[in-house]
Amino acid sequence: MVKAVVGEESRLKLIEDRLSQASVPSQVGLVIGKLSKSLDKGFVFDLIPTPLNDAGEPASSLIESGKDDGNKKKGSKSKPQSDSSALVIDRDWVSEHARQVSRMLLGGMKVIGVYIWVNESSFKNSTITLCQTVKGVCDAVPFMDTDMDERLLIHISYSPRRWTCRNCSLASNITSSSLRPCDFKMGKVLSSLKEFRCTYNFDMRLPVFSENGSSIRKMSEVLRRGLSTHAKELKGAKCLINGRLGIEDEQYAPDGLHEVEFLLPFMHDKSLEVYRQTEVVGVLVFHGSVCSFAYLNPKEPMSQALNEIKEDIIMSLQSRLEILCDEADRDSESIIDEDQEAGRHLSMGKQIPQLDLQLQREFSNLSFPRRVFIPWLAGTYICDYILPSETIEVLKDHCVELMSMEAPEDDSAILGLESEALYVTSASKSFWDIAASQLSSESKPDGLISKKSKKERSPGTSQLAKLGDLSIVAAFFVLIFSVVVGLALFVFRSQ
Amino acid sequence: MDTDIQNSNIRILCRKLVLPKLHDQSAEIPQIRWLIGSPFFPSPTIIATIRCINSADFSKESDDIRILLPKGFEVIGALIVKNDPNFENSVGEAVDAAVRLRKLLYGDAGGGFSEKDQMLVGGVVDLNNAGDVQFFTFKTGNVKKIEKISSILYEEQPEKYVWERGCLLQCELQIKFPVYYPPKNPKEVEKMYIRATEVVVSNLVDLKTTYIMEANGPSAGEQPVVLSGTDLELHKEMSSTTSQESKVKTFACSDLCLKAGKAISYTSIEEYADIIHVSILSNRSKRSLKPAAPIAEYYPVEDAKVLVVDHKLEVLCYAAKDLSLAAAVSKLIIPALVDQILSMRNKILSHLLTEHPQLQPYHFVPPGFFIPITIFYELSYGEMEMKQVETRKTLHIRFGLPLDRPLLRVVNAINLSVKDNKTTGSALRKGSSLLKDVHLGIPSSGVSGGTVSLIQGSYEYYHYLLDGFDDSGWGCAYRSLQAIVSWFRLQHYSGIDVPSHREIQQTLVEIGDKDPSFIGSREWIGAIELSFVLDKLLGVSCKVINVRSGAELPEKCRELALHFDTQGTPVMIGGGVLAYTLLGVDYNEVSGDCAFLILDPHYTGTDDLKRIVSGGWCGWKKAIDSKGKHFFLHDKFYNLLLPQRPNTV
Repeated sequence: MVKAVVGEESRLKLIEDRLSQASVPSQVGLVIGKLSKSLDKGFVFDLIPTPLNDAGEPASSLIESGKDDGNKKKGSKSKPQSDSSALVIDRDWVSEHARQVSRMLLGGMKVIGVYIWVNESSFKNSTITLCQTVKGVCDAVPFMDTDMDERLLIHISYSPRRWTCRNCSLASNITSSSLRPCDFKMGKVLSSLKEFRCTYNFDMRLPVFSENGSSIRKMSEVLRRGLSTHAKELKGAKCLINGRLGIEDEQYAPDGLHEVEFLLPFMHDKSLEVYRQTEVVGVLVFHGSVCSFAYLNPKEPMSQALNEIKEDIIMSLQSRLEILCDEADRDSESIIDEDQEAGRHLSMGKQIPQLDLQLQREFSNLSFPRRVFIPWLAGTYICDYILPSETIEVLKDHCVELMSMEAPEDDSAILGLESEALYVTSASKSFWDIAASQLSSESKPDGLISKKSKKERSPGTSQLAKLGDLSIVAAFFVLIFSVVVGLALFVFRSQ
Repeated sequence: MDTDIQNSNIRILCRKLVLPKLHDQSAEIPQIRWLIGSPFFPSPTIIATIRCINSADFSKESDDIRILLPKGFEVIGALIVKNDPNFENSVGEAVDAAVRLRKLLYGDAGGGFSEKDQMLVGGVVDLNNAGDVQFFTFKTGNVKKIEKISSILYEEQPEKYVWERGCLLQCELQIKFPVYYPPKNPKEVEKMYIRATEVVVSNLVDLKTTYIMEANGPSAGEQPVVLSGTDLELHKEMSSTTSQESKVKTFACSDLCLKAGKAISYTSIEEYADIIHVSILSNRSKRSLKPAAPIAEYYPVEDAKVLVVDHKLEVLCYAAKDLSLAAAVSKLIIPALVDQILSMRNKILSHLLTEHPQLQPYHFVPPGFFIPITIFYELSYGEMEMKQVETRKTLHIRFGLPLDRPLLRVVNAINLSVKDNKTTGSALRKGSSLLKDVHLGIPSSGVSGGTVSLIQGSYEYYHYLLDGFDDSGWGCAYRSLQAIVSWFRLQHYSGIDVPSHREIQQTLVEIGDKDPSFIGSREWIGAIELSFVLDKLLGVSCKVINVRSGAELPEKCRELALHFDTQGTPVMIGGGVLAYTLLGVDYNEVSGDCAFLILDPHYTGTDDLKRIVSGGWCGWKKAIDSKGKHFFLHDKFYNLLLPQRPNTV
């Protein structure tokens, strides 16, 4: 149970000023920070207002019977008049915001609750609503590693101007007793954070079984299952911190950036636990790298940093898969309106996560978006994902809309540590080549380099690549044909 | 053939050269014995001898030796045992055998540590001449030039010599990988499996592969040493003496050796030797090029199956303490793992699909040895199946072990892994809270000039009221039986639990000796019933000696002494109303004076060794004690039950 919470002074003061100047009756948003189980403490890094919803309305509003807008603003400042006002929150929207924001957070930073800017009496009238909002956020972005059933609810009241923090216990049904006050103070939080960095390379070979062997068919399902197995494996991994073998529960004193390297069992494929001599219809090779950061409070044990970074790696892969699945969903909705013929080619790439691999008889691939890092507060970073088809502008939109921050002006401040996805093999390679070279592809960097130069700028899917080849050939024929026709015409005319 | 006699000597570390006794039926004459040395010891030093059991097929012999001999030990020569050797011919045989086997084992180059022109040892034994051994040395470069060795130095404390200079490296590696194959063409599975093992072998020396070396024991203060692929000296020729100091990783094995000869007496290799554990991991964060975002690629296939192969490898290596850790990994651990995986592959290749081979390596330190040896056992067979027994018998012959003692069963294996030591250690203490071998340290019998013959091996002391079971007044024979069964258990003849009173009664009912009402009763049993139960539960047959009066028992002393010397099993004495367990006799053949080492099951106290000994519940009993009291009653008959040791391995 978190008993004391420290808020980042520099940020919260700014937010308070901004809120009081904006003179909105209410504002709901997310609390970004960290709940430390080992320290029984909470740390608040930043508060991010939830943007307007699809209908262009704010996520929270005060409903007052028989009063117009002008009165509302006025009334909000004086207590007696607003007694009857009730807080209405678009909970789904706040949850969705939390989901999107949490994708952008790195290890050791999470959506840890909800803040509300509202007057005292409305707050008191609406505790259940607020608890439900907190619960909604918690369900949308559960903590992967810990079983903490609590989140924060920060209330900034405007008259008197005051910050209060409550601990919202979500273990049981939400009642008025779910909220417990906890000690809240401002201080320096961000500047003392320790930074851990890791590049994690993985190469999963996920066999896809024939119909009677397994019920998992879709590519996204196969990937998701592979990920969850891999998460378990990573959980037990040994690691090196700055080249030294990490000892559990050791306090890690020095400041600065710490390089983490993970050591996994040598050629011991955990996903192979269950079967022997089974029919397969193919193998899904899922490989690449994840660049990861995690931030740690200096008082927390080092083992915590490792947990954070492991969680970040897995979350990053899950987020990317989610993004691809979201894209596919959106695409399949829009495809109905579009011209069938044009839609087909366009959507082939995006529909790949939904492919039924048991029926898929051709090579196909799915490039994951790459992760980029955007400078955030006090030298920390947040991240975003860029699909091969997207540009850096998308990322700026996300920053402004989701994180309520100014887009970085200088593109060079953005760390693009990951390059675009590389093929492990050319599409001409067959299943049997993959089967024979199992787990060895990683170990042949020179092979990859040569591939890289060849493939770096190739389009996302082999389908498109083949199409491209075809069209070149076609264009060539058209050219020859037109020349011949032109010549014929010329000859014909000149006669 | 030139024969020089020089003032050279040979150091022999085996307590006595294990030579076949002439009456030993298994001893075919002539035979070849391999002389085992180490590249870390001054040549020539013989650590052990191992008998050649495939003298007709050296290729198979070399395959066997490669697996059973830990890296860091090597075959340094051959010994020819003959009845009537013509020295000249035998020398030729020894040289020829040694050179041929070494070529198969280590190739022309001579292996990781040996020089091109290695000094080898030959030996000839004349069995007719009281096992007289003549040693000579020769060099691989010129096998014709023989130098006779003039003196033989027997090391007083061979285990000290070996384990002060070097340590044991232990590396466990469990690998699991899929093997895909087209079901239409099952032969293909072998090809794919071979390919997969090649990948394993090449990955062992991959730059990403990381070796973590840690000292043994939970209290190990030393930090583990992490070696990555770049730290290993994989592509350079090097010997133990010329390790390069310029390397960042200059740790030597001694940096992880904690015992440093602290152990005073040799009890077991686990206790005595310095052990370094090596674990192999794959570094997932080595950056060879710019990290690329993930991609999923799907390769469909028509008609394929996958077989998951799971191998548990465990190698032991011997390294001089001044050897660098990097060299220990690249010159010992990796080659040992490669040998093991290739050998495993050859053994299971042909029946990969039909059976599920479960080969697993085990390590043993057989009696007379103080270096470990490695044996693969196939776990999918029962240990007592004929094929397994035959395998063990062959190994017993190879190591010169008796053929009626189970010494190479899985339970005999040494256990060097850190974690397991802790758990099994506590489990053992919990499981066998019973007192063991209570007769050790009791006062002597007082028989002057007698020869003591005792049981061989350990037993547990079962007595009245043990485990809260009230059998006072009727259960003494049951307790004696339990002690005997515990002996068979502890000697690894059987894995069955020591039977309870009820289970003993059930067994007697099952074989038809008693009515069903017997179960749960408090009826006594005697020597005959015990023999039934031993036969039924353990398959052990017994010899029975009857005497009409307790006064006749001393006459049986000679027979009992012979029993303890040859069988070594505990004897049950049933007579009149009392049952005892006999653990030994002390007998003076000339004077006829004798004493019996009695383990008395009638003790009702707690398991307090002092009380048991001072109360005489375990002690030497004379037929007539100093006060003139008769221990064995004259008016009662006695049955002695002599369990026969199973003639098996």
